[in-house]
Amino acid sequence: MSRYEVNSLLYRLKKDADFRARFTADPAAVLAAADLTDDERRALIDWDPRVINALGGYLHLLMSIPGLEGH
Amino acid sequence: MGRIVFAAAMSHVLDPDYYGAHCGEHGRRTVETLMAGVRALGRRLEADPPDALVVVADDHLNVFAFNAVPAICVRIGRHVERMEQDDATAFDRLLDRLPRRYLLHEALGNRVLEEGLAAGFDLAMSWAAPLDHAFLSPVTTLLPDGPVPPLVPIFVNCVVAPQPTPRRCFAFGRHLASVIAKSPWRVALIATGGLSHFPELSFPRVGESDTVFDRRVLGWLEAGEHEPLCALSTAELDKSGEHELLNWMVALGAVSPASARRVFFGELGRINLAAVEWILP
Repeated sequence: MSRYEVNSLLYRLKKDADFRARFTADPAAVLAAADLTDDERRALIDWDPRVINALGGYLHLLMSIPGLEGH
Repeated sequence: MGRIVFAAAMSHVLDPDYYGAHCGEHGRRTVETLMAGVRALGRRLEADPPDALVVVADDHLNVFAFNAVPAICVRIGRHVERMEQDDATAFDRLLDRLPRRYLLHEALGNRVLEEGLAAGFDLAMSWAAPLDHAFLSPVTTLLPDGPVPPLVPIFVNCVVAPQPTPRRCFAFGRHLASVIAKSPWRVALIATGGLSHFPELSFPRVGESDTVFDRRVLGWLEAGEHEPLCALSTAELDKSGEHELLNWMVALGAVSPASARRVFFGELGRINLAAVEWILP
């Protein structure tokens, strides 16, 4: 899995409110150029924190992205 | 000649609202009891203020985010800011209520760094890393009314594999003790985090803790048996959710062979909360 790519995206979603707003509005477009596997892209577009975590996304990031946090 | 005048370790989400939301009224009451124990420790610091307060804690992917993740990093400089997080949620919300800026003990931080490199510890340094709840929640619970002594924040990578080993963290703690002993300062030291929670950092395991493992750890700390703690592997810590024990291992190395006094231990399912103080000569 693309550990760096997935977690860098999660980090940016947490820290960059404008990026987070664009992602929320159209995740497929925001991720179009990202170097992701098909499973990673699907999990991020569907925003399924458990699947993203299973694919290598760090728990603490997934728990603390404003408006997208999983529990 | 300098010395460590106070050493303690404690969980670091010290917030009744957080545990009230996630663990109900029992969670709220449990963390309030822990906080009262931490606050009692802080009164001793207030009565006899140290020259510096070393805080060993982990970053929660707020600062060192995949551009580079240091195993151990000394925060140097003159001041440090708390992390800013817009629309903060979960554990980040604690920060909103805390002061924004804290004084650093520049000279001690520099000695830890420079003498560490000379002694073979390949430490990272940062002039800009802000502090999240792992540092500031314990500090402000210990000393809610200030003044906070000049800080020496030390980051340990507890969550991004591969982490430093418990034995390496203990050795770094020995280095801290050596630097402090050669200095002119009276230094307080805290390590934060834990005890077990979020095993394997896996969503399906959020809500689990490992009470057997935690009680074993506390037993070793109270008995002054440090070798079994050094012999733990990072894989064991990951499996049990004991990742943040690495911070405690640094403090343990600094005070070894001292034994610890249990200040608090409380089970919440989601996490086991704890605090200890080391009995110093």
